[in-house]
Amino acid sequence: MIFVDVLAGGVRGGTAILYAALGETLAERAGVINLGTEGSMLTGALAAYAVTAGTGDPWAGVLAGACAGALLAAVHAFTVLSRGANQLATGLVVLFLGAGLTSMFGAAYVGRAISPFQPYPIPGLSRIPWAGPILFDHDPLVYASYLLAPALWWLLFRSRWGLVVRSAGERPAVLATYGHSPLLVRYLAVVGGGLLAGIGGAHLSTAYANAWFENMTAGRGFIAVALVIFAAWHPLRAVGGAYLFGAALALSPALQARGYGFNQFALDALPYLVTIAALIVLGRRQTGAAPEDLSRVFQLTPTR
Amino acid sequence: MTGAAVGAAEVRPQTVDNRQRSWPRWAAAVLAAPLIFGAFAAVKGVDPVAMYADMLASLADPAQAQTVLVRAAILLLAGLAVAVPARAGLLNVGGEGQIVIGAVAAAGVGLVTDQRLPGGLALVLMVVAAMAAGAAWAGIAAGLRLTANVNEAISTLLLNFVAIDIMLGLIYDPWKDAAGFGQPSSRPLEETARLPLFVTGGTLNAGILLALLALAGVWFATRRTAWGFRLRVVGGNPEAARRAGMRVGPLLLSAMLVGGALAGLAGLVHFAGTEFKLRPGMTTSFGYVGFLASWLALHRPLRVGLAALLLAAIAMGGDSLQIDSGLPAASLNVLMAVVLLVVLGTRRHPGRKS
Amino acid sequence: MKRLVAVTACAVLLTACATNTTSSSKTSESAPGTGGTKIGFIFVGPKDDYGYNQAAYEGSQAVAKAYPDLEVLTAENVPEDDNAARVMEGMVRKGAKIIFATSYGHRDPALKVAAANPDVVVLQQGNIVDGPMPPNFGTYFGTVYEPVYLAGIVAGKATRSNKLGYVYAFPISQTLDNINAFQLGAASVNPAAKTYVVNTSNWCDPAKQAEAAKSLLSQGVDVISQHQDCTATVIRATEAAGAYTVGYHADASPLAPKGWLTGSEWDWGPLYTKMIQTVVAGQFTGSPYNANFRVGLKTGDNPFVQSPYGPTVDGATKKLVDDAKARISKDGSPFLGPVVDQAGTVRVPAGTVPDYKTIESIDYFVGGVVGKIPAS
Repeated sequence: MIFVDVLAGGVRGGTAILYAALGETLAERAGVINLGTEGSMLTGALAAYAVTAGTGDPWAGVLAGACAGALLAAVHAFTVLSRGANQLATGLVVLFLGAGLTSMFGAAYVGRAISPFQPYPIPGLSRIPWAGPILFDHDPLVYASYLLAPALWWLLFRSRWGLVVRSAGERPAVLATYGHSPLLVRYLAVVGGGLLAGIGGAHLSTAYANAWFENMTAGRGFIAVALVIFAAWHPLRAVGGAYLFGAALALSPALQARGYGFNQFALDALPYLVTIAALIVLGRRQTGAAPEDLSRVFQLTPTR
Repeated sequence: MTGAAVGAAEVRPQTVDNRQRSWPRWAAAVLAAPLIFGAFAAVKGVDPVAMYADMLASLADPAQAQTVLVRAAILLLAGLAVAVPARAGLLNVGGEGQIVIGAVAAAGVGLVTDQRLPGGLALVLMVVAAMAAGAAWAGIAAGLRLTANVNEAISTLLLNFVAIDIMLGLIYDPWKDAAGFGQPSSRPLEETARLPLFVTGGTLNAGILLALLALAGVWFATRRTAWGFRLRVVGGNPEAARRAGMRVGPLLLSAMLVGGALAGLAGLVHFAGTEFKLRPGMTTSFGYVGFLASWLALHRPLRVGLAALLLAAIAMGGDSLQIDSGLPAASLNVLMAVVLLVVLGTRRHPGRKS
Repeated sequence: MKRLVAVTACAVLLTACATNTTSSSKTSESAPGTGGTKIGFIFVGPKDDYGYNQAAYEGSQAVAKAYPDLEVLTAENVPEDDNAARVMEGMVRKGAKIIFATSYGHRDPALKVAAANPDVVVLQQGNIVDGPMPPNFGTYFGTVYEPVYLAGIVAGKATRSNKLGYVYAFPISQTLDNINAFQLGAASVNPAAKTYVVNTSNWCDPAKQAEAAKSLLSQGVDVISQHQDCTATVIRATEAAGAYTVGYHADASPLAPKGWLTGSEWDWGPLYTKMIQTVVAGQFTGSPYNANFRVGLKTGDNPFVQSPYGPTVDGATKKLVDDAKARISKDGSPFLGPVVDQAGTVRVPAGTVPDYKTIESIDYFVGGVVGKIPAS
């Protein structure tokens, strides 16, 4: 069934994007957009691969990937929050930094073999027709993301902690009068976002592609940032969005393996066009849902 | 420090003129970056002093100097393509795609006209087509921003990927050079329709004049015209601009269109001045480096010129990083990113009243 | 993207034998390429791509080992425009008298450097000079599709589903030649074998490759080969699924201890060293290297060779490969006619061997390949 194959591919390929999008949701809920998400994914992918190659344990790799992603995001947080630089421009520069550093220090790991995450079909569930292969025949990081999205939703919208984060994005001044530091909250949110993006990169290198190569994220971090916007900063909607893009990426090989030929460049552009289309359809409605302080970044990019 | 003030302040719009007195800090920042990068090099086991000496020495060669100018012309246009929308508060990250589309349009017109029309006329048509196409590509993002509220930083970024797919789709099939041994590239542009060279046998072409002309035009338009003034007001505070009766939408659109046209022109200069045919990877990140140039220059036109020259020189000196110091090519990205981070982070903090 | 053209550096051979009449080879102290202290190599992509550029880089390191008193200068990511000329000039200034420009698109800048520096020998990998050859210039390449044809034979014998898979990036001629050779090799021993192709529109996007391999495997494909710059992802996915792997670029048998069949890999060192030997002896001008030098099974010294066999390949299959080798050495090409395209049109008439220009400009899949050339 091509339908099952594409959706299963959507879940597999969408997971890295999902982690990054959940991380970015956290950061943007606190009022900071980070276009350097792509860079955090790259550093995460390399660190995870390198540590997995060194230790033989992919979980140690994921830990390292998370730390590396968080570290790069900390550069963004410092430049933006403590030095007052433009968020969007800094994000891009941070991406440049991540891409440069990973190709500088990653060369040694191209072609190194690792023992990656293995797929673990969940007994029983994986045998359900359709849903089984689509949802329950993956690696542990995919399953972890099933838990992460609702957990983040609960944290953001049902816990006191989430209220603090969202206040940092909506009304930092009010938050300050209650004795919280919006600056600290934003730092933690941005770094936490980079941490999740790093795990997304780790999924790419140690569970999905099982290889490291410079620039292997190929724009998936940008898609994650765009996705957060049309998912209206909502963790559960981000899940659907991430799988939609995963599916857009999985469509081309699924068609070709069955002997259907289409213009490959049109298919290659499809995920980006789908993203833009989603932003158009949902954009007008969704920007109303933007954290208020963040929407100022969107409405008007300060030129300083 | 009070978190509230800091948190709220970094997204508060600032007028462009707040940056006027920033240049000593700017210069200090630019000088600080080589120190940081030198540390990176030292980690990789390279003597920083010898590295910089080799870099500078490699730029002294006249052929090398010509190439720096050729690249600087393209980066200047790509930088202005970011700077003009930025005056109005728009973030154009789509320079790369607009350059590609500009080159595609130039190539399309060139392929049709270069053997039928006098070279000069063909070239003029190519300039017009490249600028129009670049403007149209940027116009998509501006239109989406105004009608569907899609953030232009995101849309221009995504459109870059689409633009490259369009070019690849053309050079792999309809525009593929029949005499090109099956290579994915368009037929080379006739010599008559190319940008003229300053020195026969050299590389420096008339693109630098186009770039300087554009620089003068942008400087004049942003500093001396009502349009430029309005852009700055909109960029400083769109709400105030609206209350003052300005039509914000058309102003934003015009800024983006001008930016796109400048990037399209960069595409033409690269195509008709250096490449002469479309091929995969021909733009080598000019759009992104141009973006950095504009931010390095705080979007001030004359300084964009300086930044373009500096980044072009760094890129050329980058060869020496490899040949003389044995550092990987990606070191260049790290060097540029460090320069930019230091500049972005050294700007006077607006929320801190010291 | 930059690597795109690099990997297209294909065998373009107009004349199998070098016909050179510029001058008789005579040794003199002013012969081009002599008296240098350094040798320069430029690569279009990263020198650690585990593919085309790394192969050339490793060739340069073999040269460094063979000539310890000559310093080897390398530059990676050198674009195929005037930047390349600049980088080469920089190497000449540093004392290099021999330059290897290792990408197809480096030809024009390489010619420029050769013209400006008559005392320097410039050797260009993969392209061809159509007119008179300058006395200090030469092009060289191997016939890459020959070992791919041999690997196709092994794949055709190994498959049980008669479905072979091929993951590729873009429909450039070198890729089409490889896919066609693979299918022709397989069909020569197993007429029921078909090759299913999947493109990734990228020379190295491991995640896309993972999906491409999964798609092929889910359709019952049980042998997978590829033309990508980074190859580990497809090989690991294939091995994990218990299918067979045919390698490309390098011997990756450690990645597929069970499913490795054979493959094709680069080995530039011997050819580079031989060419340098001729140059430093002052005998370059007029030598076979001072021409469009091409090598294959017929001539020997092919820098693209067959990888070692995997554990499952039996003696009968190896015998078939040896027979094919002998056949190609005699006929000169795996594309000996009749070659029929997907629509059934005869593209190479029976008994004809196409010339290298025809092979190089190929723009169709042969019959038995399942898939479409995307841009058509």
